[in-house]
Amino acid sequence: MSRIIVVSNLQKHFRVFKHRRGMGGAFRNLFSRQYKVVRAVDGVSFQIRPGELVGYLGPNGAGKSTTLKMLTGLLVPSGGELWVNDRVPWRERQAHVATIGAVFGQRTTLWWDLPVIESLDLLQYIYKIPPHRFRRNMAEFRKMLELDPFLDTPVRSLSLGQRMRADLCAALLHDPILLFLDEPTIGLDVVAKERIRQFIRHVNRERGTTVILTTHDLSDVEKLCERVMIIDQGRLLFDGALDTLRERFGGKRALVVDFAQEYDDVTVADAQVIERDGRRAVYQFEQEVLTASELIGRLSARYRIRDLSVREPDIEATVRRIYEERLLEG
Amino acid sequence: MRFALDVYRRLLAVQIRAQLQYPVAFALDLGGTALILIVEFGSLALILQRFEGIGGWSLVEVAFLYGMVEMAFNTMDMLFSGFDPPVFGRLVRQGQFDQLLLRPLGITLQVLGSRCETRRLGRVVQGGLIFMLAVGLVDVRWTLLKLVYLPVVFASVVSFFGGLFIIGSTITFWTVESIEAINVLTYGGHEMMTFPMTIYNDWLRRFFTFIVPAIFLNYYPALYFLDKPDPFNLPPFAPFLAPLAGGGILAAALAFWRFGIRHYASTGS
Repeated sequence: MSRIIVVSNLQKHFRVFKHRRGMGGAFRNLFSRQYKVVRAVDGVSFQIRPGELVGYLGPNGAGKSTTLKMLTGLLVPSGGELWVNDRVPWRERQAHVATIGAVFGQRTTLWWDLPVIESLDLLQYIYKIPPHRFRRNMAEFRKMLELDPFLDTPVRSLSLGQRMRADLCAALLHDPILLFLDEPTIGLDVVAKERIRQFIRHVNRERGTTVILTTHDLSDVEKLCERVMIIDQGRLLFDGALDTLRERFGGKRALVVDFAQEYDDVTVADAQVIERDGRRAVYQFEQEVLTASELIGRLSARYRIRDLSVREPDIEATVRRIYEERLLEG
Repeated sequence: MRFALDVYRRLLAVQIRAQLQYPVAFALDLGGTALILIVEFGSLALILQRFEGIGGWSLVEVAFLYGMVEMAFNTMDMLFSGFDPPVFGRLVRQGQFDQLLLRPLGITLQVLGSRCETRRLGRVVQGGLIFMLAVGLVDVRWTLLKLVYLPVVFASVVSFFGGLFIIGSTITFWTVESIEAINVLTYGGHEMMTFPMTIYNDWLRRFFTFIVPAIFLNYYPALYFLDKPDPFNLPPFAPFLAPLAGGGILAAALAFWRFGIRHYASTGS
């Protein structure tokens, strides 16, 4: 089966200059430098098929951006192999970037002082986009991204959400086969986030563009991605379907109980009290051992209950557990 | 190549239009720099008049040196604004340099096209006026060779300072702390070239002859244009070394720049 990205045992190590502290340290820095090696990406392997929409997750400093920079040809790997669209990105930077689109979080590809439409015209020229394709793409993106109200506004006057929409349009005008998105929804409100997500889904499904996105916002992943890769400390901890992730590490459901009065002892067999605050207690339980209704039955037999709610394990807690407990290691 | 030039032209047009969006600021900038130059040269002229010249050069002869350097340096400062080391350092730190690398265009072309300080034009024009005034008053005996060589000298001085800008920018890939070292050469060289070399002591002159060959860019060509004798007894072709010195520095700078880009791609900082 065809692969659009093949990464095997990819590594990127940085030598970081260790500053000594204080005046004496600053003086010694001048003459002898100490370095430590940071393994930002430390043996990562994965393959991506055309048309996939992959979420790339990890805490800050995990190696997400470093991987993305290697995939886009900005960084040369320290080791391992990296093929994107049958090219080694950094060896043929210009040919490579002509076939990809990239939106890197808070930075814009557009010209700060130019009206949006003129930036887009300039990109048409730079990427040598044929006029009919440019017109067709513009018509589609203007509608999908609702660009019309600010097409004539200089980029510096756009809101964050408007700028992200303009940047997405700019990244896709030349019909890239691959789209890299680094934190595409960061700093946006709920409505703006949803609009961006809809657009990403549209691009992936209707145009068949392969999309790789990094994000902190797990609802991006839940709503968009079928496949998730989790990286931490330079190593890939998980690569698979979102559902598998949830099943394997979804953790336990929890029941939040508000008692009608205060009790000293609220323990129940087969369930664990994980939070206690006045009249409120949170029980954690496993579906296979104890159903929610059984637990409620046991509780109501002993205590007077005012209110109940079931808390589903969320993906965020799941991923946090994976990082914290290093569940996937070994 | 034609595509590259056309892209460059368009990128510059963006910069110029952006600056013209604020016409008042633009006019004030032009006027302000005009005032600085007039005050600068005015005070120099007053001093020189009092001493009746300097190092065997009359006021108008010094104006010849001064005008040429001002014209060429500020033309360079305008065309190579993107390579102004502090500006370029910011471009790298704020991640805009990565954005340029994501476009299917040569990186040197894009850095050149990323900025164009058109307000330097004011100083270019004034440098030109001072130069023309000097040429008129000093009564140069023009020959065909002199007429042809004049623009070559101009281009050489532009290349020389452009090279220093590129070297300074490349250094910012490693450290932002050492920019001052190259600034001493750039702005020191600019200052030094406005005066006849006879006023400097030997070690400084040797430094600017053998290590950084700035002496061949303005001083020696001026000796030739003004038909003045060479006080340092260099070979008679010395006035014609300007393109070699300017082009050599620029070529070395571009080689260093390529090396710096490779370093950047392996460290990302």
